[in-house]
Amino acid sequence: MSPIFLAVAVLLPICGGALIPVLPFGSRKQMMLYIEGVVLLTSALAISLLVNRPAEHFVLFRFTSNITLSFRLDGLGSVFTALISVLWPLATLYAFEYMKHEEHEKFFFLFYTVTYGITMGIAFAEDMVTMYCFYEMLTLVTVPLVLHTLTREAVLAGRTYLYYSLGGAAFAFIGVIFILVYGTSPDFVAGGVLDLEKIGNRTNLLLLIYVFCFFGFSVKAAMFPFSGWLPKAGVAPTPVTALLHAVAVVKAGAFATMRVTYYSFGTEFLRGTWAQTVVLIPVIFTIVYGCSRALKETHLKRRLAWSTVSNLSYILFGVALMSPLGLVGALTHMICHAVIKICSFFCAGAVICQSGREYIYQLDGLGKKMPKTFAVFSVSGLALMGVPGLAGFVGKWNLVKAALDSTHPLAVVGVIALMISALLTAIYMLTISVRAFMLSGDASAKTARNPMISTTGNVPMEEEAGQRNGAGENLSVPISNAAQSVKSQEHQTVPYEEVKDPGWMMLLPLVIFVAAMFVIGLHPQPLIDVFTQIASAIQ
Amino acid sequence: MGIWILIPIFLPVVAGVLLLLSSAKAEEEAPPRCASAAERAGHLKNAARGTGAAKSLTRLHCITAAVLVVSAVLALFAAWSGDNSYTWFELMEGIPIYFQIDDVGRLFVTVFSIAWVLVCFYAFTYMKHEGKEQRFFGFYLIVYGVLVALCFSGNLVTLYLFYELMTLTSMPMVLHSGTRESIMAALKYLFYSMCGAYLGLFVIFFLYRYCDTLTFTAGGTLNLALVEGHTGILLAAVMAALIGFGAKAGMFPLHAWLPTAHPVAPAPASAVLSGIIAKAGVLAIIRVVFYTVGADFIRGTWVQTAWMSLALLTIFMGSMLAFREKVFKKRLAYSTVSQVSYILFGLSVLSPKAMEGALLHVVFHAFIKCALFLTAGIFIFQAGLSNVDQLEGIGKKMPKTLWCFTFASLALVGIPPTSGFISKWYLAQGALEAEVGAYSWAGPAVLLLSALLTAGYLLPIVTNGFFPKKKEQGDAVQKDGASAHGAMITAHAAGNASAADGSSTAAAAEAPLGMLIPLAILAALAVILGVFPTPLIRFVSQIAAAVL
Repeated sequence: MSPIFLAVAVLLPICGGALIPVLPFGSRKQMMLYIEGVVLLTSALAISLLVNRPAEHFVLFRFTSNITLSFRLDGLGSVFTALISVLWPLATLYAFEYMKHEEHEKFFFLFYTVTYGITMGIAFAEDMVTMYCFYEMLTLVTVPLVLHTLTREAVLAGRTYLYYSLGGAAFAFIGVIFILVYGTSPDFVAGGVLDLEKIGNRTNLLLLIYVFCFFGFSVKAAMFPFSGWLPKAGVAPTPVTALLHAVAVVKAGAFATMRVTYYSFGTEFLRGTWAQTVVLIPVIFTIVYGCSRALKETHLKRRLAWSTVSNLSYILFGVALMSPLGLVGALTHMICHAVIKICSFFCAGAVICQSGREYIYQLDGLGKKMPKTFAVFSVSGLALMGVPGLAGFVGKWNLVKAALDSTHPLAVVGVIALMISALLTAIYMLTISVRAFMLSGDASAKTARNPMISTTGNVPMEEEAGQRNGAGENLSVPISNAAQSVKSQEHQTVPYEEVKDPGWMMLLPLVIFVAAMFVIGLHPQPLIDVFTQIASAIQ
Repeated sequence: MGIWILIPIFLPVVAGVLLLLSSAKAEEEAPPRCASAAERAGHLKNAARGTGAAKSLTRLHCITAAVLVVSAVLALFAAWSGDNSYTWFELMEGIPIYFQIDDVGRLFVTVFSIAWVLVCFYAFTYMKHEGKEQRFFGFYLIVYGVLVALCFSGNLVTLYLFYELMTLTSMPMVLHSGTRESIMAALKYLFYSMCGAYLGLFVIFFLYRYCDTLTFTAGGTLNLALVEGHTGILLAAVMAALIGFGAKAGMFPLHAWLPTAHPVAPAPASAVLSGIIAKAGVLAIIRVVFYTVGADFIRGTWVQTAWMSLALLTIFMGSMLAFREKVFKKRLAYSTVSQVSYILFGLSVLSPKAMEGALLHVVFHAFIKCALFLTAGIFIFQAGLSNVDQLEGIGKKMPKTLWCFTFASLALVGIPPTSGFISKWYLAQGALEAEVGAYSWAGPAVLLLSALLTAGYLLPIVTNGFFPKKKEQGDAVQKDGASAHGAMITAHAAGNASAADGSSTAAAAEAPLGMLIPLAILAALAVILGVFPTPLIRFVSQIAAAVL
């Protein structure tokens, strides 16, 4: 295909999105059709670009002779493109149902759609400058999405997000400059572009710059100590948290570190140096840290956000191994985690949307009212902890394979961290499922007649039935339930009895993601072959 | 032909899933049946359920029994019709999901199947007072399928897959009663098992790198040229696997879940958890040590020393804790902790004799422990008695049950000619023959001490049961019954106790045949296998000779 379509795929959602508030839609349905149309068209274009990959690049804009905004689709970019172009239409579909009750819908979809184009730009970027530009733009267009509800909490979160991201980008910018000065070419080249003669004895300086650059980009990938913004940004509407804060934005950060490590500085230059050690330490620490925080968190979406922090560091761990196998592992986990995490976030969103409950202790018994949603959530939990046959295992297996292949002494520590993290993941994901399916819901009759009995244990599932009949003479709601029903009134939750599974627009993406988890989990080889081929270009 | 292996795996799993789905649907539609646990237990005892419900229950029993028996027969047929293997599909390049039948798998699947079917028939009666039968039997069937797959697993990744699935699918049996306590216990079970499984996975990663193949091969497949220079880390990984898979087998330091989780489950579930699923951990260890790493690699290293020490420590600790425990099922759970470590000790010595002893003890302990837990279940079901002190004089009311218990206890203590004697004899002899320094006499000494303790915690129940102390018998029991038995008893037991209020042991009658027959068969097996052990010994010596 002609390379001009690269630019079309980037500009179509940007322009299409910008028109949303201007166009006179007769009804909400028309607007939905229009947005979904734009998104699907872009995805179709992106996928056909993947199939017939244009060989040449496309220069959008020329600053100076060698500093340009230009697009080109290479192997690594294709992976990221494929990921977002599949997920975006589904997320948009989900957003239609979710956003029904929210205000400023048009502006939400404006930024949501524009972000698609910007993310595509990052995937297509041919050189550091282009990627940097789109990276900065990504921050700017996603801040309004975090701010969306305009509550005090949201404004604070938006501000934190902005500061973290801009700060990170500033550090990354130093790297951009050095690559332009010391590289043989401004473009991304598999294996790196550094000109060793030009560097001379300034190796350590360059390594320091690499560390800055890695840390700068890893802010978006929420590496400790730059992870604070991500859980806070969970105040955004769920479609944003699910797609942007679990996939597009954070993975853009991981993608950028891949570009920097494998395509700019080059692994040959970096492998085995102190710089590798310096980046590995926080990465490994974050793997465990994120999980521990997730375990401690009682807010459903924030727990998932901390889990994202941990899992993104899996990807960064693969990157920091600085070997072709490491890249394969990182890419595999990038895809697997994207599917799993967007799925679990969508479930969380469905729960919040349908029941108004946001805290985990409020979810007792909801599994009986929303069986489909929680079944999907359980599957994604199992996948995330890495049960073989589901997607998460594939990612982990490849990461560990790369780690054991590496000669760096910290690699084994990383494997141990992965195992600890898997255990913690099992704990924080499965407790939710067990609570939802096995405990009793807060029964409609809320009087705790004799709270003392309940501690010695009775059969909670019968309890609710008993109360409905008004026949539960000697039974009672457990204390925590009583406390919870008081609390739930503050949150204006939907009464337990009225909670139900969401409509098809929410369920369809969930079902597709579950299917994807199984397909990737059971038959990952084609995917891995593609990644291996991409990585084979790197020495 | 190989594809036949899949049928006994999938038949119960599919049937179980269908049962679960239909039970979920039924729960949605059916009006709340009874108001409370106590009332409900009372209703059930009086057969006050509608005829429709009774009919559907019979249908459920028929389906479960049919599926289970058919799959057990198919599993045994697949196992004993010769060596066979089947690659199901390739999970990733070089790691297929692969089934292979060998002698170890054959031994385990036979034991598992026999015990599973017997306990199932017992459960038909027992579960009437627990309720939610459909859910229970659904999971019961699924776990059976997974266990068969586990026994037939042909490489480590397949084993790991089904090991995880076993944990996940057996957990609902622990939290069956749905009380807060049982849910906490189930989560504890889940997390300990997961912790163990991930330690196991850790070694699988290493073995994938350092072994020629992950397919189980007697004697191991370690590529010594590759290992060169990485011995230290690999030994550490093997130790991690021992501790990890040891979690299921209740080995110190990951044993703490077992005494919590096994007793809160309904009695049939406790029986299979202790008797069967704990053995899955043993199977995994056998597969890692003897079929992948190879015994020679760890012989004489610190790993062997540490393993023996942990096993002996667990044997002693388990027996001591059982000795001072008053709650019957909990005492049995501690006994499991101790007894399964006999097996692990036998394996850790790495001598053929001791390994034979270990494999024999796998078989014997499975039957004995199932029998013991079924007895405990009968006492709860018939009389609501869950504390050993309440069992005074029970032998007068339920002589047959107590006789079965007596035989099983004698077998566990290891009094000739019962089965436990044979396995312990081999274990001790193997330890003495092996060149493991101080352990070759410390091992038998601990075994002996533990046997004394075993006698100490099981036989007084028998003597007190048949020959109660005269004074204020009924009174004491009743008081205990009313004191709600602390945290141990689950709702059903409390319900039963209150239903049988004031009567306690006096009202207890002999158990129905549906429960008594499986118990009697298991107890008989425990004795008979000790009287005629030769074929079995020949079979296990074949296994031991192949790997050592």
